[in-house]
Amino acid sequence: MNTRDQILTAIRAARERRTPVEHPGRFGGWRPVEPPPPLEGFEAMFTQAGGEVVHVSGTVERDDWLRTFLAEFQHLSMGAGVPPGIADLGPTRINPGDEHAADVGVSMARGAIAETGSLMMDARDGRRAQLLPPVLVVLVDRSTVHATVADAFESARGDLSAAIGLHSGPSKSADIGQVMVKGVHGPGRVIAVLA
Amino acid sequence: MTGSSPEYRPGAYREAAAHSLRETPMVRDSVGSATRTFDSLRAHAYADVESDRWRDWARDVKGHALTHLDQYLEQAERSLVRNGVHVHWAATAEDVHRVIAKVVETHGVRTVVKSKSMLSEELDVNAHLESLGVRPVETDLGEYIIQLLDEPPSHIVGPAIHRSLDDCRVLFHERLGTPLDSEPDELAAAARAALREDFLSADLGISGGNFLAADTGTVALIENEGNIRLTTSVPRVHVALVGIEKVVPRFEDLAGLLQLTARAATGQPIGLFVSLIQGPRTGDEVDGPEEVHVVLVDNGRTTLFEDDVAWEALRCVRCGACLNICPVYRQTGGHAYGWTYSGPIGAIISPGLLGLDRALPLPHASSLCGACTDVCPVRIPIPELLIHWRERTVDEGRNSTAERLGMKAYAGLAERPGAFSAAASALRWTPWRAAGRALPVLSGWVQERDAPSPSPRSFRDLWREGIE
Repeated sequence: MNTRDQILTAIRAARERRTPVEHPGRFGGWRPVEPPPPLEGFEAMFTQAGGEVVHVSGTVERDDWLRTFLAEFQHLSMGAGVPPGIADLGPTRINPGDEHAADVGVSMARGAIAETGSLMMDARDGRRAQLLPPVLVVLVDRSTVHATVADAFESARGDLSAAIGLHSGPSKSADIGQVMVKGVHGPGRVIAVLA
Repeated sequence: MTGSSPEYRPGAYREAAAHSLRETPMVRDSVGSATRTFDSLRAHAYADVESDRWRDWARDVKGHALTHLDQYLEQAERSLVRNGVHVHWAATAEDVHRVIAKVVETHGVRTVVKSKSMLSEELDVNAHLESLGVRPVETDLGEYIIQLLDEPPSHIVGPAIHRSLDDCRVLFHERLGTPLDSEPDELAAAARAALREDFLSADLGISGGNFLAADTGTVALIENEGNIRLTTSVPRVHVALVGIEKVVPRFEDLAGLLQLTARAATGQPIGLFVSLIQGPRTGDEVDGPEEVHVVLVDNGRTTLFEDDVAWEALRCVRCGACLNICPVYRQTGGHAYGWTYSGPIGAIISPGLLGLDRALPLPHASSLCGACTDVCPVRIPIPELLIHWRERTVDEGRNSTAERLGMKAYAGLAERPGAFSAAASALRWTPWRAAGRALPVLSGWVQERDAPSPSPRSFRDLWREGIE
């Protein structure tokens, strides 16, 4: 008998003595008070965790904001799903694979979640661009902001890439003497641009 | 008690706890401060939601998964293979070592970046990698600190909580050349710079797995630093070590489990970074590992599952909430427990995973106050399981000769009212501090404690005379 079958056989023998527990169904995220509308909820949760939120009315205003914001940076990494025109807004665009050399990154979220203040980052957009720059701007289509994690997961399950990351604020750690510091490994500053 | 450190093994718990309290009292300060902060944050996070309902739900999801464990493991295997993942089954640590050795050999691995994984600690993966000539680099900041110190973790969530800021300043000064008066953010920046090089040059990333969704084959990981995302994204090969008890039925179940685990562990609505990993990079993805391995690890879990009482401990999500609230753990931190898992959860799973013989006396490292069960996000009845392991200790004759003789003597007296009364009378007049010092068990008690003098008249006398 191979290792797999040994493990499964041992489990089956013990499981016969266990009273089956029923699955309790969908997670309801039960709360004592009604949550705010998704956009408001996302902003409240994301900023509470140290993230920043910018609202723009459309692509023109978005590009204006980006042009101003990116002016202070030298090297830009861009996610694969980011509109190509953004490459012309300021910093020199670095080549894919060199994201560690960028001092700012722009990525595209596949969605966001109000319940936890999370950005849903898809591997198809490029993981290094989402993780290596110290400052990350994430573009979010406001129609993709889900109310709850359960809603977001139900929506995503039919179209899962190799990896989905939920980013709910800047990288932090309290491992050094229990003092909170930002930007340990992932971006230390994250700005969600909602259009 | 000398200043030399006791052995790092559960059997040395009493000596190690005493040593910690006497020789390194600053550990109690650091651990106490950190755990009180963790617990306060948890309490607030529980209060924001209907936490009883959340915990009932999580208990039942994990209970359902465990009572159908073979089916969900097989489904998870099918899903992972469909996603292009190499699936391995490991009964023992040696089986895991063989899988890692094969990956190392196939890909010519020289450096491994690792994310914090208690399972990896349990399996002694770093020592194995070093024996292969591979350099393991712990990338979680807390794990990085204790790797530099060559210490085991002292807490499931905060592995370096026993170390103060000043300890870290000295360590980073010696190892990374930072000034002795560096601020925490400067120390973190130095660690980031050192570890960034390793992320970019490592051939292999090794992670654990908080959950494994059977229907989609998703390995879910929770963190705050971003090092897990990097470990599982940048190197060209990723190996995830996942305990067999981590499987849950549905991708959607992760919605509640990820949130509840974070609330219980650190009081956050969710970890700042969550990785949901389905497999290796696909054709339309610009980066990510080309090869992903998932190792389904038993290493004593089926033995624990076979125990008709203790199997409930397998619901554990490793949040550390029971450590944070435990008045016993707070005194010493985790090192005294002598193995990977410390605190109340360590005291109930170690006997199953290691065998009761090796885990004793950990089930006794508790006052049975029950605070751990009050905070457990999956409602493990920890005090009941502690008593269960204590009962098994007695049933299997593993308790000490002194305890056996003492209980036998007590039973003999309790069955004979006259003898019981005479003995109680004699005890009232015994200089018990002096006598206690000479007796086993009692000597440990009177060493640190005093007690009021006994009443000159017995309860029986008072009862006969009519208690007012």
